Amino acid sequence: MTSTAAKVSLIEFRPDDDWQHIVIADQEECRRCPDKNCLRVCPAGVFAWDNHPGHPVLVRYKQCVECGACRLACPQGAIEFSYPRGGYGVVFHQG
Amino acid sequence: MLNEWFKTKKPHKLPPRTQAASTAAAPRKYDAIVVGAGPSGASAACFMARDGLDVLLLERGPFPGAKTCGGAAVIAEQIHELFPNFWEECRYERIVTRLDYWWLNDDSAVTAGFTSGRLAAAPYNRLSVKRKNFYSWLAAKAVSAGATLLLGHTVDDVLLDHGRTVGVHVSPPQNTTFLADIVILADGANSLLAERAGLNSSVTAKNLSLYAKETIALPPETIEERFNLPPGQGAAIGLIGYPTAGFNGTGSIHLFRDGVNINAGMSVSDFAAGGFGPGDLLERIKKHPRIQPLLAGGVTAEYGAAMIPEGGYHAIPPLVHPGLLIAGDAASLVNGTQGINLAMWSGFYAAKAAFEAKKSRDFSARKLSLYRTLLDESFILQNMRANAKAAALQRDRPYLFDLYSRMANEAAYQMARAYPMPMNAKRKFIWHKVTSLQPVGKIAADLWQVLKVVKG
Repeated sequence: MTSTAAKVSLIEFRPDDDWQHIVIADQEECRRCPDKNCLRVCPAGVFAWDNHPGHPVLVRYKQCVECGACRLACPQGAIEFSYPRGGYGVVFHQG
Repeated sequence: MLNEWFKTKKPHKLPPRTQAASTAAAPRKYDAIVVGAGPSGASAACFMARDGLDVLLLERGPFPGAKTCGGAAVIAEQIHELFPNFWEECRYERIVTRLDYWWLNDDSAVTAGFTSGRLAAAPYNRLSVKRKNFYSWLAAKAVSAGATLLLGHTVDDVLLDHGRTVGVHVSPPQNTTFLADIVILADGANSLLAERAGLNSSVTAKNLSLYAKETIALPPETIEERFNLPPGQGAAIGLIGYPTAGFNGTGSIHLFRDGVNINAGMSVSDFAAGGFGPGDLLERIKKHPRIQPLLAGGVTAEYGAAMIPEGGYHAIPPLVHPGLLIAGDAASLVNGTQGINLAMWSGFYAAKAAFEAKKSRDFSARKLSLYRTLLDESFILQNMRANAKAAALQRDRPYLFDLYSRMANEAAYQMARAYPMPMNAKRKFIWHKVTSLQPVGKIAADLWQVLKVVKG
């Protein structure tokens, strides 16, 4: 199994439909950002961008594994990361 | 001395609380609230409850261990001191009797390891565990000691009153407040609570490492055959060099009963600089010709990722605040392969300090600083101090792991080959091969720096 999407599909998630725990408050920062570290550093592929300048960076928060690295890797400090509400989010079973 | 002091002290139980007439509006007040039911939080809750404190343990996952992952081997002897014969109660995966280090190159590996049947006797050296089983067992110990465990509760704020911590706020759906004299933060590597309260500024891309792991299911007999182990025994293998694509980082392999847990990672800042993620490293390492045959035919059971604080001794934030203590990963107490056991001991010391504070009804930072004193005198901080310069060394010389595993592999390869040339000429040839990778002067300088770190 090699693709991140296939691997992420193995993880159990309890997604919260009503509240998003990772947000990019200002997409303008992302438009200016030359690195977009979030696209590569995130182990679960939460951040997606279609390579069109001007298009926003998507946050697919429902597949977040809650490591918190995106917030530290973002050179603009534009990613607001908090933990999902109680009972929601990733559930690991295999240690 | 102080280290032994609480053991010699007479057991002292606080008198049972008289239940105050409950008013519906007032939030429930506890003696202590522990945020996070991982190894440090659950240990702290357990020892405080055993001392008679009224303890609330809050966990945001549906069960303890749901929110973190990574192959793990616990150091049994150190945990045995806290929870005697814990292996009889807790489900472990395998008894680790083989400890290996593999310095990998593109297609080869120089390995060093130790295997001994003596490690298979109690008290075991290391036991591999699944976090879910181990953490749940530990939290159950806290509950049976009298602590209240609430699952699915995410704490989003620490409540302060004139600079002193007085409780926590739980996010919706509960959206409620709990009060306590002491709050112990054990909320893990990415401790947002301490950071938000302005108590921890060392959570940075340099100090935090990101690891991705994959659990690959294989039948127990296949695992034992491939890793050359007797039934029930396991191995912990550290992977250095190739797995992290030129950066200083590590990978490791841990064996479960019916699966292989493989992981790789390095600091978040190196990932940002390198322009790839931990999942890429994991794919790279799985394809290595020495590793691929070990995993062949296995089915991926789970993928995941987690951060670990690897900033070392100098990244430890202030741990004692009025009414608040920080323990475990949140306190950056990780030392090489030691994490869970350090977390549990820090929880234990935090519990002892909390109990002393409760007895004297003094929750000031001065009183609670007993926690820091106990840590300072224990093996935890002494070991971390001994390793204090290692993190800086790895940062200053980011090529160390990769370069020296390359050199070791090159030297071993040339030595393994037999050339039609005289021995002396071959020795010269190998010397030139190796020193063409790094000049002698630089090797000596690196060696000197490493020796300085080892000497402390």
